[in-house]
Amino acid sequence: MSKTSGGIEVEGTVVECLRNATFKVELENGHKVLAHISGKIRKNYIKILPFDRVLVELSPYDLTRGRIRFRYRN
Amino acid sequence: MNSVHFTSHTGEHAVVITRVAETHWHALEDDRVVGRGETSRRPDGRLFLSIDSWHGAVFDRLAEVMLADLPKPLYTVVDEADLELTSHWQRAGFTVRRREWEYLVPTDPLITGLGSAPVPPGVTIVPAGAAIEGPLSTLDREIRDEVDAAVGWQEMPAEVLVRPAGDTAPDPAKYAVAAASGRYLGLVRVVQVTRLPRIGLIAVKAAQQRRGIARALLAHVLGSLHRSGIETASAEVNESNEAATALFDGIGARRASSNLELVNR
Repeated sequence: MSKTSGGIEVEGTVVECLRNATFKVELENGHKVLAHISGKIRKNYIKILPFDRVLVELSPYDLTRGRIRFRYRN
Repeated sequence: MNSVHFTSHTGEHAVVITRVAETHWHALEDDRVVGRGETSRRPDGRLFLSIDSWHGAVFDRLAEVMLADLPKPLYTVVDEADLELTSHWQRAGFTVRRREWEYLVPTDPLITGLGSAPVPPGVTIVPAGAAIEGPLSTLDREIRDEVDAAVGWQEMPAEVLVRPAGDTAPDPAKYAVAAASGRYLGLVRVVQVTRLPRIGLIAVKAAQQRRGIARALLAHVLGSLHRSGIETASAEVNESNEAATALFDGIGARRASSNLELVNR
Protein backbone atom coordinates (compact mmCIF):
# COMPACT_ATOMS: atom_id res chain seq x y z
CA MET A 1 0.00 0.00 0.00
CA SER A 2 1.27 3.46 -0.80
CA LYS A 3 0.03 6.96 -0.04
CA THR A 4 0.26 9.45 -2.86
CA SER A 5 -0.94 13.02 -3.16
CA GLY A 6 -3.98 11.56 -4.87
CA GLY A 7 -4.90 9.12 -2.12
CA ILE A 8 -4.20 5.56 -1.08
CA GLU A 9 -3.06 3.18 -3.80
CA VAL A 10 -3.36 -0.56 -3.26
CA GLU A 11 -2.61 -3.56 -5.44
CA GLY A 12 -5.34 -6.06 -5.99
CA THR A 13 -6.79 -8.73 -8.24
CA VAL A 14 -9.88 -8.33 -10.39
CA VAL A 15 -12.40 -10.96 -9.30
CA GLU A 16 -15.41 -9.93 -11.36
CA CYS A 17 -16.31 -7.68 -14.28
CA LEU A 18 -19.70 -6.10 -13.55
CA ARG A 19 -22.16 -4.91 -16.13
CA ASN A 20 -22.00 -1.18 -15.51
CA ALA A 21 -18.33 -0.69 -16.45
CA THR A 22 -17.19 -1.44 -12.91
CA PHE A 23 -15.04 -4.20 -11.48
CA LYS A 24 -14.93 -6.00 -8.18
CA VAL A 25 -11.32 -6.01 -7.00
CA GLU A 26 -9.93 -7.98 -4.07
CA LEU A 27 -7.17 -6.01 -2.37
CA GLU A 28 -4.06 -7.47 -0.80
CA ASN A 29 -5.66 -7.18 2.65
CA GLY A 30 -8.64 -9.25 1.54
CA HIS A 31 -11.09 -6.36 1.31
CA LYS A 32 -13.16 -6.08 -1.84
CA VAL A 33 -13.87 -2.75 -3.52
CA LEU A 34 -15.90 -1.61 -6.49
CA ALA A 35 -13.68 0.15 -9.01
CA HIS A 36 -14.08 2.04 -12.24
CA ILE A 37 -11.22 2.29 -14.69
CA SER A 38 -9.31 5.50 -15.15
CA GLY A 39 -9.86 7.67 -18.17
CA LYS A 40 -6.31 7.01 -19.29
CA ILE A 41 -6.89 3.24 -19.34
CA ARG A 42 -10.15 3.78 -21.23
CA LYS A 43 -8.49 6.11 -23.74
CA ASN A 44 -5.76 3.56 -24.41
CA TYR A 45 -8.18 0.66 -24.83
CA ILE A 46 -6.51 -1.40 -22.12
CA LYS A 47 -8.69 -4.38 -21.34
CA ILE A 48 -9.30 -5.42 -17.75
CA LEU A 49 -10.15 -9.08 -17.17
CA PRO A 50 -10.82 -11.30 -14.16
CA PHE A 51 -7.55 -12.38 -12.48
CA ASP A 52 -5.69 -9.28 -13.73
CA ARG A 53 -3.39 -7.70 -11.17
CA VAL A 54 -4.17 -4.00 -10.92
CA LEU A 55 -3.26 -0.88 -8.99
CA VAL A 56 -6.31 0.72 -7.40
CA GLU A 57 -6.57 4.26 -6.06
CA LEU A 58 -9.10 4.28 -3.22
CA SER A 59 -11.62 7.09 -2.94
CA PRO A 60 -10.76 9.46 -0.09
CA TYR A 61 -14.50 9.79 0.50
CA ASP A 62 -15.46 6.09 0.47
CA LEU A 63 -12.88 3.34 1.00
CA THR A 64 -15.15 0.74 -0.60
CA ARG A 65 -14.79 2.44 -3.97
CA GLY A 66 -11.78 2.93 -6.17
CA ARG A 67 -10.35 3.57 -9.56
CA ILE A 68 -8.09 1.18 -11.48
CA ARG A 69 -5.06 3.21 -12.50
CA PHE A 70 -2.75 0.50 -13.83
CA ARG A 71 -2.95 -3.07 -15.06
CA TYR A 72 0.14 -5.18 -14.51
CA ARG A 73 1.34 -7.58 -17.15
CA ASN A 74 0.62 -10.97 -15.60
CA MET B 1 2.87 25.29 -15.12
CA ASN B 2 0.04 27.13 -13.34
CA SER B 3 -1.97 28.71 -16.10
CA VAL B 4 -5.47 28.52 -14.63
CA HIS B 5 -6.90 28.46 -11.14
CA PHE B 6 -10.51 27.84 -10.37
CA THR B 7 -12.36 27.46 -7.13
CA SER B 8 -15.38 25.38 -6.37
CA HIS B 9 -16.96 24.11 -3.16
CA THR B 10 -17.90 20.43 -2.96
CA GLY B 11 -17.66 20.06 0.80
CA GLU B 12 -15.84 21.65 3.67
CA HIS B 13 -12.84 22.71 1.61
CA ALA B 14 -12.37 24.76 -1.51
CA VAL B 15 -11.36 22.88 -4.64
CA VAL B 16 -8.72 24.52 -6.78
CA ILE B 17 -8.22 23.53 -10.40
CA THR B 18 -4.65 23.96 -11.60
CA ARG B 19 -3.01 23.23 -14.90
CA VAL B 20 0.15 21.49 -13.69
CA ALA B 21 1.65 20.64 -17.09
CA GLU B 22 0.92 21.13 -20.77
CA THR B 23 -1.31 18.04 -20.78
CA HIS B 24 -2.29 17.67 -17.11
CA TRP B 25 -4.78 19.40 -14.79
CA HIS B 26 -5.30 18.68 -11.09
CA ALA B 27 -8.21 19.42 -8.79
CA LEU B 28 -6.86 19.96 -5.28
CA GLU B 29 -8.94 19.89 -2.13
CA ASP B 30 -7.00 20.66 1.01
CA ASP B 31 -3.74 19.81 -0.83
CA ARG B 32 -5.12 16.44 -1.89
CA VAL B 33 -5.67 15.54 -5.54
CA VAL B 34 -9.37 14.78 -5.91
CA GLY B 35 -9.51 15.00 -9.69
CA ARG B 36 -7.25 14.73 -12.71
CA GLY B 37 -7.59 15.81 -16.30
CA GLU B 38 -5.32 14.78 -19.13
CA THR B 39 -5.04 15.23 -22.87
CA SER B 40 -3.28 13.13 -25.48
CA ARG B 41 -3.01 13.56 -29.22
CA ARG B 42 -3.80 10.58 -31.44
CA PRO B 43 -1.62 9.85 -34.48
CA ASP B 44 -4.41 11.28 -36.66
CA GLY B 45 -3.97 14.65 -34.93
CA ARG B 46 -7.15 14.59 -32.83
CA LEU B 47 -6.97 15.69 -29.20
CA PHE B 48 -8.54 13.29 -26.66
CA LEU B 49 -9.44 14.21 -23.08
CA SER B 50 -9.85 12.14 -19.96
CA ILE B 51 -11.07 13.27 -16.55
CA ASP B 52 -11.07 11.26 -13.32
CA SER B 53 -12.81 12.65 -10.27
CA TRP B 54 -14.70 11.48 -7.20
CA HIS B 55 -17.42 14.13 -7.49
CA GLY B 56 -19.58 15.25 -10.40
CA ALA B 57 -19.02 18.87 -9.37
CA VAL B 58 -15.24 18.44 -9.60
CA PHE B 59 -15.61 16.78 -12.99
CA ASP B 60 -17.67 19.72 -14.21
CA ARG B 61 -15.10 22.27 -13.04
CA LEU B 62 -12.19 20.34 -14.54
CA ALA B 63 -14.04 20.06 -17.85
CA GLU B 64 -14.89 23.75 -17.79
CA VAL B 65 -11.27 24.78 -17.25
CA MET B 66 -9.86 22.30 -19.77
CA LEU B 67 -12.35 23.28 -22.46
CA ALA B 68 -11.52 26.94 -21.95
CA ASP B 69 -7.83 26.15 -22.46
CA LEU B 70 -7.99 23.84 -25.45
CA PRO B 71 -8.82 24.26 -29.14
CA LYS B 72 -11.89 22.44 -30.48
CA PRO B 73 -12.83 19.92 -31.66
CA LEU B 74 -12.08 17.78 -28.61
CA TYR B 75 -12.78 14.09 -28.22
CA THR B 76 -13.13 11.47 -25.53
CA VAL B 77 -14.06 7.80 -25.20
CA VAL B 78 -16.50 6.30 -22.70
CA ASP B 79 -17.88 2.87 -22.03
CA GLU B 80 -21.51 3.12 -23.10
CA ALA B 81 -22.54 1.22 -19.96
CA ASP B 82 -21.02 3.93 -17.79
CA LEU B 83 -24.07 6.15 -17.81
CA GLU B 84 -22.80 8.47 -15.07
CA LEU B 85 -19.55 9.29 -16.85
CA THR B 86 -21.34 9.66 -20.18
CA SER B 87 -23.77 12.15 -18.64
CA HIS B 88 -20.84 14.12 -17.17
CA TRP B 89 -19.35 14.56 -20.62
CA GLN B 90 -22.72 15.42 -22.12
CA ARG B 91 -23.15 18.12 -19.49
CA ALA B 92 -19.82 19.50 -20.71
CA GLY B 93 -21.21 19.79 -24.23
CA PHE B 94 -19.96 16.53 -25.74
CA THR B 95 -22.18 14.56 -28.14
CA VAL B 96 -21.96 11.03 -29.52
CA ARG B 97 -19.93 10.84 -32.71
CA ARG B 98 -19.76 7.07 -33.23
CA ARG B 99 -19.97 3.69 -31.52
CA GLU B 100 -17.50 0.83 -31.46
CA TRP B 101 -18.61 -2.67 -30.60
CA GLU B 102 -16.28 -4.84 -28.58
CA TYR B 103 -16.71 -8.38 -29.78
CA LEU B 104 -15.73 -11.57 -27.99
CA VAL B 105 -14.87 -13.95 -30.78
CA PRO B 106 -14.98 -17.72 -30.26
CA THR B 107 -12.06 -19.61 -31.77
CA ASP B 108 -13.66 -23.08 -31.92
CA PRO B 109 -14.37 -23.96 -35.58
CA LEU B 110 -17.44 -25.89 -34.43
CA ILE B 111 -18.88 -22.60 -33.18
CA THR B 112 -17.55 -20.22 -35.82
CA GLY B 113 -18.31 -22.52 -38.73
CA LEU B 114 -14.98 -21.49 -40.19
CA GLY B 115 -13.46 -24.96 -40.10
CA SER B 116 -14.62 -25.53 -43.63
CA ALA B 117 -14.13 -21.93 -44.84
CA PRO B 118 -12.50 -22.31 -48.25
CA VAL B 119 -9.43 -20.32 -49.18
CA PRO B 120 -10.24 -18.57 -52.51
CA PRO B 121 -8.67 -20.24 -55.56
CA GLY B 122 -5.06 -19.23 -56.11
CA VAL B 123 -4.77 -17.70 -52.64
CA THR B 124 -2.53 -19.05 -49.90
CA ILE B 125 -2.41 -18.02 -46.25
CA VAL B 126 1.05 -17.14 -44.95
CA PRO B 127 1.09 -17.77 -41.19
CA ALA B 128 2.26 -15.25 -38.60
CA GLY B 129 6.02 -14.98 -38.54
CA ALA B 130 6.45 -16.22 -42.10
CA ALA B 131 5.55 -13.06 -44.04
CA ILE B 132 8.39 -11.16 -45.68
CA GLU B 133 8.81 -7.73 -44.16
CA GLY B 134 9.24 -5.73 -47.40
CA PRO B 135 6.07 -6.89 -49.17
CA LEU B 136 4.17 -6.76 -45.85
CA SER B 137 5.15 -3.11 -45.42
CA THR B 138 4.06 -2.40 -48.98
CA LEU B 139 0.68 -4.04 -48.41
CA ASP B 140 0.24 -2.23 -45.10
CA ARG B 141 0.97 1.11 -46.78
CA GLU B 142 -1.36 0.39 -49.74
CA ILE B 143 -4.24 -0.59 -47.45
CA ARG B 144 -3.71 2.47 -45.26
CA ASP B 145 -3.71 4.72 -48.32
CA GLU B 146 -6.96 3.12 -49.52
CA VAL B 147 -8.63 3.64 -46.13
CA ASP B 148 -7.36 7.21 -46.00
CA ALA B 149 -8.85 7.92 -49.43
CA ALA B 150 -12.16 6.25 -48.61
CA VAL B 151 -13.78 6.33 -45.15
CA GLY B 152 -10.75 7.86 -43.40
CA TRP B 153 -8.95 6.71 -40.25
CA GLN B 154 -11.19 8.65 -37.90
CA GLU B 155 -13.89 6.09 -38.68
CA MET B 156 -11.65 3.20 -37.65
CA PRO B 157 -11.18 1.81 -34.15
CA ALA B 158 -8.24 3.44 -32.39
CA GLU B 159 -6.48 0.11 -32.55
CA VAL B 160 -5.89 0.46 -36.26
CA LEU B 161 -5.04 4.15 -36.43
CA VAL B 162 -2.44 5.16 -38.92
CA ARG B 163 1.02 5.13 -37.42
CA PRO B 164 2.93 8.38 -37.11
CA ALA B 165 5.42 9.15 -39.84
CA GLY B 166 8.77 7.51 -39.28
CA ASP B 167 7.32 4.60 -37.32
CA THR B 168 8.81 1.21 -38.01
CA ALA B 169 7.42 -1.37 -40.40
CA PRO B 170 4.78 -3.84 -39.20
CA ASP B 171 6.15 -6.74 -37.17
CA PRO B 172 5.76 -9.92 -39.30
CA ALA B 173 5.38 -11.99 -36.12
CA LYS B 174 1.97 -10.38 -35.53
CA TYR B 175 0.60 -10.69 -39.07
CA ALA B 176 -0.85 -13.52 -41.13
CA VAL B 177 -1.12 -12.66 -44.80
CA ALA B 178 -3.15 -13.76 -47.82
CA ALA B 179 -0.95 -14.09 -50.90
CA ALA B 180 -1.41 -14.90 -54.58
CA SER B 181 1.24 -15.17 -57.29
CA GLY B 182 3.86 -13.82 -54.90
CA ARG B 183 1.84 -10.70 -54.06
CA TYR B 184 0.24 -9.94 -50.74
CA LEU B 185 -3.51 -9.17 -50.90
CA GLY B 186 -4.72 -8.94 -47.32
CA LEU B 187 -3.60 -9.21 -43.73
CA VAL B 188 -4.77 -9.87 -40.20
CA ARG B 189 -2.95 -8.73 -37.09
CA VAL B 190 -3.29 -10.61 -33.81
CA VAL B 191 -1.72 -9.34 -30.63
CA GLN B 192 -1.74 -11.31 -27.42
CA VAL B 193 -2.21 -8.95 -24.49
CA THR B 194 -2.42 -10.82 -21.17
CA ARG B 195 -4.88 -13.68 -21.68
CA LEU B 196 -7.19 -12.26 -24.34
CA PRO B 197 -5.68 -12.07 -27.84
CA ARG B 198 -6.89 -9.11 -29.85
CA ILE B 199 -7.62 -9.09 -33.55
CA GLY B 200 -6.27 -5.61 -34.14
CA LEU B 201 -6.71 -5.27 -37.86
CA ILE B 202 -8.14 -7.35 -40.66
CA ALA B 203 -7.96 -5.80 -44.11
CA VAL B 204 -7.94 -6.77 -47.76
CA LYS B 205 -6.94 -4.61 -50.72
CA ALA B 206 -9.96 -2.95 -52.30
CA ALA B 207 -9.57 -4.77 -55.63
CA GLN B 208 -9.48 -8.15 -53.87
CA GLN B 209 -12.49 -7.74 -51.60
CA ARG B 210 -15.66 -9.87 -51.73
CA ARG B 211 -13.67 -13.00 -52.55
CA GLY B 212 -13.73 -14.51 -49.04
CA ILE B 213 -10.14 -13.54 -48.27
CA ALA B 214 -10.96 -11.85 -44.94
CA ARG B 215 -13.00 -14.86 -43.90
CA ALA B 216 -10.12 -17.19 -44.82
CA LEU B 217 -7.67 -15.05 -42.85
CA LEU B 218 -9.98 -15.07 -39.85
CA ALA B 219 -10.43 -18.86 -40.12
CA HIS B 220 -6.65 -19.24 -40.13
CA VAL B 221 -5.89 -17.09 -37.07
CA LEU B 222 -8.85 -18.30 -35.01
CA GLY B 223 -7.98 -21.91 -35.84
CA SER B 224 -4.37 -21.32 -34.74
CA LEU B 225 -5.53 -19.78 -31.46
CA HIS B 226 -7.92 -22.67 -30.84
CA ARG B 227 -5.19 -25.24 -31.40
CA SER B 228 -3.01 -23.43 -28.84
CA GLY B 229 -5.78 -23.72 -26.25
CA ILE B 230 -7.26 -20.22 -26.45
CA GLU B 231 -11.04 -20.18 -26.58
CA THR B 232 -11.79 -16.48 -27.11
CA ALA B 233 -10.29 -13.45 -28.82
CA SER B 234 -11.47 -9.85 -28.88
CA ALA B 235 -12.01 -7.32 -31.65
CA GLU B 236 -13.31 -3.78 -31.94
CA VAL B 237 -15.54 -2.85 -34.86
CA ASN B 238 -17.01 0.48 -35.83
CA GLU B 239 -20.81 0.16 -35.83
CA SER B 240 -21.05 1.66 -39.33
CA ASN B 241 -18.64 -0.92 -40.80
CA GLU B 242 -21.34 -3.23 -42.10
CA ALA B 243 -18.98 -5.73 -43.73
CA ALA B 244 -17.00 -6.22 -40.53
CA THR B 245 -20.03 -6.44 -38.25
CA ALA B 246 -21.63 -8.98 -40.61
CA LEU B 247 -18.42 -11.02 -40.62
CA PHE B 248 -18.16 -11.16 -36.83
CA ASP B 249 -21.91 -11.58 -36.22
CA GLY B 250 -21.87 -14.44 -38.74
CA ILE B 251 -19.25 -16.47 -36.89
CA GLY B 252 -20.99 -16.34 -33.53
CA ALA B 253 -19.00 -13.44 -32.05
CA ARG B 254 -20.79 -11.78 -29.15
CA ARG B 255 -21.10 -8.02 -28.65
CA ALA B 256 -19.79 -7.79 -25.11
CA SER B 257 -19.72 -4.01 -24.71
CA SER B 258 -19.51 -0.79 -26.64
CA ASN B 259 -17.45 2.36 -26.52
CA LEU B 260 -18.78 5.75 -27.50
CA GLU B 261 -16.53 8.33 -29.07
CA LEU B 262 -17.77 11.75 -28.01
CA VAL B 263 -16.94 15.09 -29.57
CA ASN B 264 -17.20 18.72 -28.54
CA ARG B 265 -17.04 20.87 -31.67
